[in-house]
Amino acid sequence: MSTVTAPATKDGVNEKKAVPPDSDRMKAENRLGQRLVAPALALMLLVTAFPMLRSLYLSLFDYSLTAPDEREFVGLQNYITALSDSALWLTTLNTVFIMVVTVAFELVIGFAFALVMHRVVFARGLIRTSILIPYGIITVVSGFAWQFAFSNTNGFVNSWLPFLDSTFNWFGQYGSAIAAIMVSEIWKTTPFMSLLLLAGLAQVSEDMVEAAKVDGATWLQRMTKVVLPNMRAAIMVAVLFRALDAYRVFDNIFVMTNGAVGTRSVSFLTYQQVVEQFQFGIGSALSVLLFLSVLLIAFLIVKLFKVDLASARQEK
Amino acid sequence: MRGTNKVGIGVGFILIMVWCLLPVAWIISLSFKSQEAITAGSPGFLPTSGGSAGFQNYVDVLNDEQFRRAIFNSIGICLIATALSVILATLAAYAIARLEFKGKRFVLTTALAIAMFPVVSLVSPLFDMWRTLGIYDTWIGLIIPYMSFTLPLAIWTLSAFFREIPWEMEQAAQVDGATSWQAFRKVIVPLAAPGVFTAAILTFFFAWNDFVFGISLTSTEAARPIPAALSFFVGADPFNRPASLLAAGAVVSTIPIILIVLVFQRKIVAGLTSGAVKG
Amino acid sequence: MAGAGLLTACGGDGGKPTLNWYINPDGQDTLASIAERCSTDEYDVVTQLLPASATDQRTQLARRLAAEDSSTDLMSIDPVFVPEFANANWLLELPADTIDDDTLQGAADTVVWEDAIYAAPQWANTQVLWYRRSLAEAAGLDMSEPVTWDQVIDAAGENGGTVGVQANQYEAYVVWINSLIAGAGGEIISDTEAGRDATVEIDSEAGRDAAAIIQKLADSDARQPDFTVSNEGTTLAYMYPADGPGEFMTNWTFVYANYQGLIGDGEGQISQDEFDDLGWARYPQTVEGEESRPPIGGIEIGVGAYTDEPDFAREAALCVTDEQAQEELAVNDGLMPSRSSVYDSDALQENFPTDLLALYRDSIDTGAPRPKSAFYNQISVALQQQWHSPEDVDPETTPARSADFVTAVLEGRALL
Repeated sequence: MSTVTAPATKDGVNEKKAVPPDSDRMKAENRLGQRLVAPALALMLLVTAFPMLRSLYLSLFDYSLTAPDEREFVGLQNYITALSDSALWLTTLNTVFIMVVTVAFELVIGFAFALVMHRVVFARGLIRTSILIPYGIITVVSGFAWQFAFSNTNGFVNSWLPFLDSTFNWFGQYGSAIAAIMVSEIWKTTPFMSLLLLAGLAQVSEDMVEAAKVDGATWLQRMTKVVLPNMRAAIMVAVLFRALDAYRVFDNIFVMTNGAVGTRSVSFLTYQQVVEQFQFGIGSALSVLLFLSVLLIAFLIVKLFKVDLASARQEK
Repeated sequence: MRGTNKVGIGVGFILIMVWCLLPVAWIISLSFKSQEAITAGSPGFLPTSGGSAGFQNYVDVLNDEQFRRAIFNSIGICLIATALSVILATLAAYAIARLEFKGKRFVLTTALAIAMFPVVSLVSPLFDMWRTLGIYDTWIGLIIPYMSFTLPLAIWTLSAFFREIPWEMEQAAQVDGATSWQAFRKVIVPLAAPGVFTAAILTFFFAWNDFVFGISLTSTEAARPIPAALSFFVGADPFNRPASLLAAGAVVSTIPIILIVLVFQRKIVAGLTSGAVKG
Repeated sequence: MAGAGLLTACGGDGGKPTLNWYINPDGQDTLASIAERCSTDEYDVVTQLLPASATDQRTQLARRLAAEDSSTDLMSIDPVFVPEFANANWLLELPADTIDDDTLQGAADTVVWEDAIYAAPQWANTQVLWYRRSLAEAAGLDMSEPVTWDQVIDAAGENGGTVGVQANQYEAYVVWINSLIAGAGGEIISDTEAGRDATVEIDSEAGRDAAAIIQKLADSDARQPDFTVSNEGTTLAYMYPADGPGEFMTNWTFVYANYQGLIGDGEGQISQDEFDDLGWARYPQTVEGEESRPPIGGIEIGVGAYTDEPDFAREAALCVTDEQAQEELAVNDGLMPSRSSVYDSDALQENFPTDLLALYRDSIDTGAPRPKSAFYNQISVALQQQWHSPEDVDPETTPARSADFVTAVLEGRALL
């Protein structure tokens, strides 16, 4: 509710302006607002909602691009086939594994980076410029860089790790191949995480930290009792975004292993059915399932960690 | 205590620099290894004395018609998508930050949902739609999805900026008899320009980075962007993956990003942090 | 106007049409000059480059054709994808005299689908066994007689050498598997004209023989460090390693020209003596005493179904596959002719050892094509998934498991 004398408060964004309630004016404002968002909204829906509905429709057919005339309605058969196939569950498991591990590493390393950047007094411009480079680099390039780095014919990793034989083939088995993929993911996205956390860190009151220090709290206590609780919102939003991003992992897998030795993600599996095999029917079913699983994960993260979505939506 | 703290930060500083720059140094180093050395196998961080190609890989890559086309496509597509996306986002963000209207929550929720959308799910229906419309393997066929997927980021960043603008000025303009639209155009646009700029850079980064649309909605050099071109890159000898040539291409494709980062570092950091987290 | 078809990129000025020819990267410079030669007063032929891997080439072409693209006039296609493309009505039929008695059997077979001709063979490919003569000598292996995979793996393993194959998860791995199985008298799948109802034959004695060889190499000292991700390019490096006696390698015909081009004294180059140490022999036998069945590959030229200029495109398809084109590709790029008579030409006899030419021609004539099915790609990818990693291949389980999987994929019961 608005009051006539509302001053510009700290987050006084949606405060009503200092004009008397005037229904014509409000109507005009309503209309203008809707007109201004309409093009953006229409475009966003054109490329997502409409195709998604089409996917939903196509997923009920046996439909291959190589034989478009043989399209046949099969009901939920594609979903039954997909859900009863171990490939879907294995790739889902692998995707969740990638998501959990990369986000955990990114959070810890990103937080350490944020602490350093928060405290560092020299070369701030240099460090911030450097940290933006991995963020700006094309994921495909990151994938290539690490693939070649781990290569046993032209890379350097084997010669730098003393416990490894120089002929060790990183892409020969699941464990090391997935590790290489995750290194590329973590390398590229940790800087982004650290910047988000840095913003959160900046909002923690220095006075509170100082007060805790005066009270004799150790560094660890200050972190866990003062800093982290006050950064909760920032951390949770960062985790939500990165987790969903990680769940969609595709580029690095495509470049580094092309899905070999069990490294496929759900996105990669879907891509294979649709783009490589032209199986639009079951591919669409996978697309729908992928979309639903993203929703589910978003929902779980929001509920489990009580993420303040309003802050992500900027309603405050 | 103070002392160890300083040492800790110094060590942290070095670690961050190594983290960020080592792989970049590596790809640059790789781009100087000669093709022959790569085929024969040339492990190690630096090129060997006999296995260095000088700038030959760069010459080759820039002489490659496909790669040049890809750079041209990427720059063109990304700039157009960025410009259009930022215009639409500016309008929307202004409305979200300043106006009360029905459906605001819906817009915000949609934007949030799209930011989380698994792009691979869209590949098959978009391909089908695009080939019906005849915009498959064209610039416009990539510009449209790039716009949709950068709009959420741009809208957030911009609305965060818009909230920090001194609105009294707009009110003053309105008191002087300007309509909401005039107030927006005359007063707010100049003030919001830095925010718009930040949104533009972030949007450009996103579009530049895209891979899934790039490989699935194109099939020739008519529209194929850099990430897709790199993944399909073939040298003179198709049976030898031209690792060092690829590295040179990768470096070339990273130069625009590094230039942008160098020039606009401050703005990007502000934009990234204000857009996503607002406590 | 919904569904009004595509705008075309071609056409050009003055009404002189441009024919787009989608080429794969092998011999791209020669192909560009052939395109120039085959341009006439009535039309121009220009080349457009496809990605390097056969699978990616297929994807790119198929998506253009599914989009009914009229600018896809001519295309270079891998023989294994001709049935799929023809079955989807993406290729125009070519005249019956596209192939004749002079066309080598291995190449001629692959362009025919349901009794019509859908592509013109341009060049034919096959694999032979490349090796270092000094290594074979040290191992006491008589290379003038047919050798078996067992002998080759043992000879390399016991003498510090290696065996180079293509075992990454990609098309060429299926090439290897197919030849191993055919060499034991079996086949991956039969009755392929039945489409999805074809009979999967891989769970057989021949399938187990093939798996046993892969397993033997995986467990041998002769395996190369990047065995599980090896391809045609990675295995080249082990012929002339910094230390060690070199390798036995099954690989395509481009190898000869490749090593010939390496003669010099820079890093990664080889001396004339080293080059003279390069030997070649027929593809190894799977089973001792049973003739080996070398892989068949190559490139064929198809005419896109949606071209605006079908007559010009057909004419150009024949021009870019004529004897002169085949000769140029062989001499410049080591891509061997699909016509028998071209092997006898002076240009080829000058550029290649006579016994090597005879070996190629013989191998192409008696090789084992991969399954000819409209669903070949699904069969191939299904096999790749089940047989990769080669380290896990087990004769007891892999053929049986992969047979079940291929069947399930063909019946639409499993995801790839």
